[in-house]
Amino acid sequence: MNPTEPNGRSKESAIRVRGLVKHYGKTQAVRGIDLDIGVGEIYGLIGPDGAGKTSVFQILGGVMPETSSVETAMLGKPPREARNYTGYLTQTFSLYQDLTVRENLRYMGDLRLLSKHDIEERGMHYLRLFDMDRFTERLAGRLSGGMKQKLALACALIAEPRILLLDEPTTGVDPVSRREFWDTLASLSSEGMTIVVATPYLDEAERCTHLSLMFNGTIIRTGTPKELKSSLGLKRLEVRASDLGRAESVLQDEPAIEDVQRFGDRLDVMVRDSENGTVAARNALGKQNIAIGQIRTGDPTLENTFVSLLRDLEGDHHSPPFPRSREFQERSADAVAIGAEGVSKYFGDFAAVKGIDLTIRYGEIYGLLGANGAGKTTTIKMLCGLLEPTDGLIELAGERGRARSQFVRQRLGYMSQKFSLYDDLTIEENLDFFAGVYGVPRTEREKKKKWVMEFSGLQGQEKMLTGELPGGWKQRVAFGSAILHEPSVLFLDEPTSGVDPLARRAFWRMINELADRGVAVLVTTHYLEEAEQCNRLGFMVAGEVVAEGTPTSVKAAQSGHLISIVTDRPQAASNFLKSVMDPWRVSIFGDRLHVVIEEDGVRGVDGLKKLLADNGIEVYGASEETRSLEDVFIAVVEQRRGPGDRLEE
Amino acid sequence: MFVELGRWLALFVKELRQIGRNRRLIVMLIIPPTVNLVLFGFALNPTVTNLRLGVVDNSSSAESRELVTAFTESLAFKVTGYYLSESEMSEDLSEGKLNAGIVIPSDYADKRTRGESANIQLLVDAVDSNTATIAAGYAGRIVASLNQTIVASTPRKSPQAAPGGSAQTPSVPPRASRASITPRVALLYNPALLNSWFIVTGLIGALLVLQGSIVAAASMVREKEVGTIEQLLMTPAEAGAIITAKIAPIFLLLTADIGLSLTVARIVFGVPVRGSLLLFVVSGSLCVLSGIGIGTMIATFVNSQQQAQLMSFFVNPPLILLSGAMTPIEAMPQWIQPLTLLNPVRHFGVISRGILLKGTGMDVLYPNFLALLGFCILLVSISAWRFRRQLR
Amino acid sequence: MRRVVAQARKELTQVMRDRLTLALALVLPLALLALNGTAISLSVTDLPIVVQDLDATASSRSLVEAFRGSLTFRIVELKPDEQPEEALLENRARAAIVIPRGFERDLLRRESTETQVLIDASDANTANVMRGAATAVIQKFSASVSGVAASGLPINLETRLWFNPGRQSDKYIAPSMLAVGLALFPPLLAALAMSREGEQKTIMQVYVSSITAGEYLLGKVAAYFLIALAEWFLSLLLSFAMFGLSVRGDPSALFVCTVAYLFTNVCFGAMVGVRIPNQAAAIQAVQIVGFLLSYLLSGAIFPLSNIPVQIRWISNLIPARYYIDVVRDTLVRGSGWEGLWLTPFILSGIGLFFFLMAWMRIRRMQIEA
Repeated sequence: MNPTEPNGRSKESAIRVRGLVKHYGKTQAVRGIDLDIGVGEIYGLIGPDGAGKTSVFQILGGVMPETSSVETAMLGKPPREARNYTGYLTQTFSLYQDLTVRENLRYMGDLRLLSKHDIEERGMHYLRLFDMDRFTERLAGRLSGGMKQKLALACALIAEPRILLLDEPTTGVDPVSRREFWDTLASLSSEGMTIVVATPYLDEAERCTHLSLMFNGTIIRTGTPKELKSSLGLKRLEVRASDLGRAESVLQDEPAIEDVQRFGDRLDVMVRDSENGTVAARNALGKQNIAIGQIRTGDPTLENTFVSLLRDLEGDHHSPPFPRSREFQERSADAVAIGAEGVSKYFGDFAAVKGIDLTIRYGEIYGLLGANGAGKTTTIKMLCGLLEPTDGLIELAGERGRARSQFVRQRLGYMSQKFSLYDDLTIEENLDFFAGVYGVPRTEREKKKKWVMEFSGLQGQEKMLTGELPGGWKQRVAFGSAILHEPSVLFLDEPTSGVDPLARRAFWRMINELADRGVAVLVTTHYLEEAEQCNRLGFMVAGEVVAEGTPTSVKAAQSGHLISIVTDRPQAASNFLKSVMDPWRVSIFGDRLHVVIEEDGVRGVDGLKKLLADNGIEVYGASEETRSLEDVFIAVVEQRRGPGDRLEE
Repeated sequence: MFVELGRWLALFVKELRQIGRNRRLIVMLIIPPTVNLVLFGFALNPTVTNLRLGVVDNSSSAESRELVTAFTESLAFKVTGYYLSESEMSEDLSEGKLNAGIVIPSDYADKRTRGESANIQLLVDAVDSNTATIAAGYAGRIVASLNQTIVASTPRKSPQAAPGGSAQTPSVPPRASRASITPRVALLYNPALLNSWFIVTGLIGALLVLQGSIVAAASMVREKEVGTIEQLLMTPAEAGAIITAKIAPIFLLLTADIGLSLTVARIVFGVPVRGSLLLFVVSGSLCVLSGIGIGTMIATFVNSQQQAQLMSFFVNPPLILLSGAMTPIEAMPQWIQPLTLLNPVRHFGVISRGILLKGTGMDVLYPNFLALLGFCILLVSISAWRFRRQLR
Repeated sequence: MRRVVAQARKELTQVMRDRLTLALALVLPLALLALNGTAISLSVTDLPIVVQDLDATASSRSLVEAFRGSLTFRIVELKPDEQPEEALLENRARAAIVIPRGFERDLLRRESTETQVLIDASDANTANVMRGAATAVIQKFSASVSGVAASGLPINLETRLWFNPGRQSDKYIAPSMLAVGLALFPPLLAALAMSREGEQKTIMQVYVSSITAGEYLLGKVAAYFLIALAEWFLSLLLSFAMFGLSVRGDPSALFVCTVAYLFTNVCFGAMVGVRIPNQAAAIQAVQIVGFLLSYLLSGAIFPLSNIPVQIRWISNLIPARYYIDVVRDTLVRGSGWEGLWLTPFILSGIGLFFFLMAWMRIRRMQIEA
């Protein structure tokens, strides 16, 4: 409609929405939103669970009528009529699990009336693009999570749609696959495809051209990532200190500081003015004798912005102190809580886990990290006795072998990847059940139930059916009920997947508190910045632990230097660099590019700058940085799998 | 001990609440048994009335009309068509328009007046062999009684040149009145010959086993399917407690089905209760438990609701068909008959008919009761064992 | 049309891949047909009876012999001091014959006498058969003692049993079980395939693409129709081999009616599957509605005319009712098109109704989802 909007968006409109409203019975899912999405944009919809993102997608996809709207146009047509040039990837895998990759593609192509030739050619094109062309005859159900998503994308792309709608396409997908997925999106967008995407990963959202932040059915912020980040009017201080937990609480009370967010191995401190802020932070920490490693200034990240905005909107989760009823018994820190010696698991010929050794002591948080299908869940199931190992010995809470006595189980807490609550019971009934079955004394039950409700931010919702809760909230209740009986060993399998950034922080505060009290925690996650809070880490690739140690030692073990590059066109720069060096050395982080090079410091930075400039890519800034765990993860996983050797389930 | 009881109660209450919230389960407990009983009771009715009879009357005489009237007087037959020739009638017979036809020859009246024996033909569509048997039986009785009337009313001209001198029959001097043996038939237990009494009393057992197996399988598989079973296994609750706490509420609910089906049988079909109600309920509970055992066993073999249901297709039809619930066991092929002894439904059928229709008690029914008890114990322990093994 | 073919091909690929479904599709119908055909029978023979001969004379013994000679009965021993009713109560005998004292004396005196027949009527049909058989035995005996040979009776009835002279009940049951099996499995598969897409949400992908509801449905129906045809063919072969049936009538009538029947059943399944997006519930719905009604209200076991008038009308809505006639006509009676020309129209009519119901539902969901 309006070819030149103030923010310089000059392209023709692909999607135009005015006053979109959707009711489900009495619930208002979408309360009148406007969207303007130009052709070729990657438009991100972000927001906490239950914000109404999925409803918007279903309406735009033409599979659900809106309750009312002033205008809803996809390339000038109502969504239903635009289905021929719309591709829509739903949140659940929309593949036929019992068809092969090729058959899935063929079916989708046939439905779109493509010629046999086109199906074959385009199908192979996208499979090659996604590095999946060797799996054409594999059943879709046997692909790993990341590959399933890429196949689903290929199925949506085969008709060459002009608009692509992606509803959380990367939830539960490991960081390596997520990057590949986004690289693909970037190249599609550069060919003129319009992409609308929802994602809970805010580092991904940095790669969108435009963003809308949805909250409670309305859009509260819109703009480019840059605009959104500057809308806060804050500066970010990266503070590295000795005791992050204490530093966080100290800084929170400081009046000159707007917000403190723990992020990996550092604190992100939001301040109005970077210089005053730095001084205030130094003083405050110095008073408490907390050693400061380093303070850097920079712009807030999208995640900073998101967390700050959400804290303003819904208030922080101030989880009340956990009502303890007993002191921890395993005082001796040397006792092994979880141990494994040469544990393997074979499913038929396939080795899911190959000879793992683990020792986790009380009071330790151990993070088991790995790509989809690396064998993490299988390992956890063996450790807690749900699966029998093919080979090897397991020790758990003082018992060796596989048999788990009642006594040991009483001391275990377990939160599985699948939801571990009963959907057809109310929240309260679920808590009653877990309290009862673990024999939590009646006198303490009420206190503990109350604590879980507060921790989950669900006070007053006790009578709600658990099945009606959005995923993120369910995870909170599940976490609460897993620690109700004060276990001394805790297994957490992706506890934070699908949980919004604020709640994730509350989870980790609790995990730290438990470990401080002597609980042994084994946790898996795809959020690598969370994993920085683990005491020790194990990286799993294809059933083996390939690197182990503290976050610092794991990072230090990596050779080479990490250069962070800020450029106007990170995608183009990435594509270019990948063509001239090992692809694993290059990855996009938010709005910047991380490149691992062997030569050190200044020389390397200059060399890179020159290389990019020679190829017409302007570099605003480049500096050597400390590696994040995610950098290490990508490097380890990518190097291990080598060319053409894919991660499979 | 006290803690264990608390655990068990927590498990039990959880099951109870889940069941209470499961509308479909509640509906499933009420509707299918009722519908099944009513439909089976009404629809499976072998009583033969109003058979369609075709007539070829080549004699067209008073005597032939007397014969036709004798057929239609009984409610068993109704004449739906007169035909000129046998071939014309047989066409309708072959198209299924007629069930039977009689052909009266042209010399029928003559032979009758001359006191000779007259032949008439009855053609029966025997595709449905049971109906054909009964139809032929009716026709035989009609003709026999007509014969008696004729013979009685015809004064004998000469004494019989008896072939009656055979070894079997004592030769007797001719007399004015003839000796005859009247069969006095007494139909015991079900004098009105209501087939529904037979079907319903047999079907109750089948339904209890069926419901038990379906509900138990569904409830066992659900945890597996959703993945909550892992969570359950990680709790300190023992496998035995998990299983019994799962079975107990299902069992309680299904015993209500015993009352429900008995009520339907009583109200809709007027089935009497002549024996001990207590014994009936106890045997019914054993049936339910056997069903739960079967269902639990099915659940250990499958991973989803859908598979459980399909699996039950392999188990349930033989259980019902080979129970004597719908058709008499004596009508089954010889080699199958002993197999039915392995079917708990068969034993409950005997017990249920014994108690409800005949009024017999434990003194007579104990073999079947013991067999049922045996199956019940066997099924429940096998399934519990398999389930446990799966748990650990 | 291409989309229809694509849809059908996809369905067939899926069925071929899923072992359990394939077994269900091909083995179960045959197993059920074999089981039903063998186990369901009403022709009772060798029923145990006890005889209490209070007369114990030559005459009474010859009556007992007459019962012994009957195929219907088998005499079992009555304990010396036992009442015949007890044998009935204890299920040792299904009927009891009581020959009164003075039986021979009365016969010799040419007086009328009686024989009591006590029948356990808890199984009404068998009781009826026993009544007929016992009466016939006694009447025949009565005629012979009174010195009238059967041929000397005023009216001599010659009964001829047509089409199934051996009165094998499987010739009656097997064809109807063929029809019932086809009323269960093809709709079951179709319903599963439909509800699976709803349950696993893959149907969203279908809604998003521009395939029309009609094309989608037609593709599914076509695929499961082909499978149904295979099931029919196998079942037919089995009933030839096992129950000695053969095509006696017009094969074209059989085939045309079969096509219409299978189409109707598949459409029924599709409708159920579309309306119930939950596989377990869909199975139950097909089982209860499709199977039970076809089993009970189609005249499969007992003639339709035996069903009470109040519910007999329902049978007119049940496809199996029509198809059972078709199978009996063409496989047992050997008649041709004469009685059947209307059947394909009725069947396809019902089928189209189901198709339409499913179609409307998909269309509505496609919009509302």
